[in-house]
Amino acid sequence: MKGLAPLFLGIFGTFAFSWVGLTVIPNWQIGHLNPQSDEEGTDIYPMPQSGMVTRGARVYAANGCNYCHSEQVRAAYAGADIERKWGDRRSAPRDYIFERPVLLGKMRMGQDLANIGARAPKEEESPSPTGGASPAPQGAAASPGAVASAKAASPPPGTSPLPATSPGAIASKPPTSPGPASPPPSKSPATAAAGGTSPAGAASPPAAGPPWPEQTAGLPPMYSAAWHHVHLYSPRSINLDSNMPSYRFLYETRRISDARSSDALQLTGSDAPPEGWEIVPTYDAKCLVAYMMALNQSHPLKEVRSTGASAAASPAASPPPAPGGQPAK
Amino acid sequence: MNATGIPLKEPAVSVAAGDTEQLERALIDASTRVPVLIFYTSAVGWLILGTLLAGFVSFKLHTPDLLSDISFLTWGRMRPAHMNVMVYGWASMAGMGTAIWLMARLCRTVLRYPLLLVAGAGFWNLGVLLGVGGILLGDSTGYQWLEFPSYAAIILFVAYTLVASWAVLMFRFRRGEQIYITQWYLLAAFLWFPWLYAAGQLMLFVVPVQGVLQAAVGWWYANNLLFLWFGAIGLGTAYYMIPKVIGRPVYSYHLATIGFWTYALFSSWTGMQRLVDGPFPAWMVTASIAATILTLIPVATVGLNHHMTMQGYFPLMRYSPTLRFTVFGAMSYTVFSLVGVLISLRSVASYLNFTQASIAYSHLGLYAFFTMVIFGSMYYIVPRLIGREWRYGSLIKLHFWASAYGIGLMTLMLLAGGLTQGASMENPSLAFSESVESVLPYLRGRSLSGILLTVSHFIFAYHFGLMLFGLGRKSTVPTFLNPVESEGAEPH
Repeated sequence: MKGLAPLFLGIFGTFAFSWVGLTVIPNWQIGHLNPQSDEEGTDIYPMPQSGMVTRGARVYAANGCNYCHSEQVRAAYAGADIERKWGDRRSAPRDYIFERPVLLGKMRMGQDLANIGARAPKEEESPSPTGGASPAPQGAAASPGAVASAKAASPPPGTSPLPATSPGAIASKPPTSPGPASPPPSKSPATAAAGGTSPAGAASPPAAGPPWPEQTAGLPPMYSAAWHHVHLYSPRSINLDSNMPSYRFLYETRRISDARSSDALQLTGSDAPPEGWEIVPTYDAKCLVAYMMALNQSHPLKEVRSTGASAAASPAASPPPAPGGQPAK
Repeated sequence: MNATGIPLKEPAVSVAAGDTEQLERALIDASTRVPVLIFYTSAVGWLILGTLLAGFVSFKLHTPDLLSDISFLTWGRMRPAHMNVMVYGWASMAGMGTAIWLMARLCRTVLRYPLLLVAGAGFWNLGVLLGVGGILLGDSTGYQWLEFPSYAAIILFVAYTLVASWAVLMFRFRRGEQIYITQWYLLAAFLWFPWLYAAGQLMLFVVPVQGVLQAAVGWWYANNLLFLWFGAIGLGTAYYMIPKVIGRPVYSYHLATIGFWTYALFSSWTGMQRLVDGPFPAWMVTASIAATILTLIPVATVGLNHHMTMQGYFPLMRYSPTLRFTVFGAMSYTVFSLVGVLISLRSVASYLNFTQASIAYSHLGLYAFFTMVIFGSMYYIVPRLIGREWRYGSLIKLHFWASAYGIGLMTLMLLAGGLTQGASMENPSLAFSESVESVLPYLRGRSLSGILLTVSHFIFAYHFGLMLFGLGRKSTVPTFLNPVESEGAEPH
């Protein structure tokens, strides 16, 4: 080849073509999406995220969770994601407009997490972030109490199950008094969710079906904040087959000074801290769980068909997929 | 074929070209000595670090409790650390070292402004060091191959600017009108990289694009880094080394032109096929799938060109380390592209999208193709910088076979594992954990291949160290892999 000009022009031209074609034009097409709302301008989805959730996303990225967990649900024709109950509908660009970084993921050595927040027990589900600061941490605060009641069968040393009517109620009063272990009231949703029968626990795994692991007795309700903490700290205490490393470095073992912290993890067996010690999540761990609790694409989007009408009505409920939306197996 | 009369050293010296040309070449080689050796030495250091990290990453994936309690040793940090050490530490530095040497040779001028390169190498090392340290300490950004925190990225960019400006300056001082094929690729790589890197950084971190487009920009960057940076350097190097070692011109210049421009055009449009079935407009994915299929045109032309050049000279691979590594790499380029086409087809991708198969694909491109070509070029270049020949042919042979079997086993394990994993994942009547269970045996097999690669890299590093300390053979004959048996085979 002779002459530099054609070479230079070609080199720049081909690259410019790709740059414009694959980044600039898509940016023009889907780079400025707004949240959707209904006619009255209410029911806005998605919403900007709280500070803890944003920080949690960075913790998630920094520890490489995205190398094993995807955050996208494929359409029913493209894969088994919806049949696996990872979501009611496929993910759409609008679901991600407030996320940064966007961690779609390219590997599923672990489950898809696009809707992990939607699976939380209803009481703990992070409310819409309009509330401002840190919705999920309230759930986190609520959980130890819930854990205590769910674990009444084998209370770890120093635990004090509080008789309360709901984890929400527990959240308002920190469980401090080291009292004698007493069985929790049966109407506690946490316990009910553990049994998998109460409507309040409808967000916990469906009664039948292998896609999700079963609720293990003696553990916090599945996908509650407390459950996430135990899972992060000791994955195989929840699921023997789990291939996830533990993230103990996100937790702190400390001596109990006055009373057990309301955040302390409810661990049993070899994971349990020695008498007089407790394991509490660091701020990063709380943010990480807040982020996961906020991952929820169950709100219907106009541009995407959901598989079930009831799924659209209640994000927390996971009814069996409507036959219409599913390909015949 | 009889080895007799096959020119194994400086084969391209035409009879007419006298001693002046050889002297001139020696002068040019001498002028590249310091900068290229700095790049190579750093690269080999990063290679060893990256290999150690890779071993941990591989073992930890099927033994999750191994060293999991220390924050900077957690799998999710070691994996990006490994990738970035290999991509920016090893592959980029070794690739730049080779590219610098080739540029000086092909511009037929002694290397000017060596300080630019020395400073570039220093900053580059600093950038990679800070970046990897940042990742291990929990500063990773989470975007594939752009995990370096911004303080490291800026240093890397400064370093790169120094190297690229050197390349452009050198080009201005070149002698001769003809621009050889290798120079097209190298010049293109040197110009594409800064644009690519700047575009990636700007669109993700400075003025971030909205939502899913971040993922699109991320994969656009990663794929183009693979093709337009590593691929271009690798192909350019192969276009130099193969004809040079066998002493025969490239089969067809015309084919090379077609191959280059179709490569530039089509491979730069790939990337979105990795996002298949994701939350994107379908046209983006489809365009990239089409582009991936169209990359078969440059694959065919480049492959045909190399094959026709080598025609009749394949037995030389028995002797020449450079040729053996380079031809292995060039053939892997074809395999890499074919696998790329296969796993980008929608029907296949729905099975393999979220499985280990995509890891196989990256390793085919970065290791089986690029790294092997670069190993080949280092076996050619280092003796010319140091004035000593490689000490042990047996070590080179061991290096080659450990690398070849290692990467072959790894590719097979990851592809087969990916298929198994995908098949169980797409069968909703199986629990999800079954898909993870099903791939674990293959991951253990992959760890085995990792041991082979570790052995190979340590052998190479040891051998390179010997050369660096002047412990190579004093000889005018290059080190062959096998003794050249026939009489008179001793090249003059």
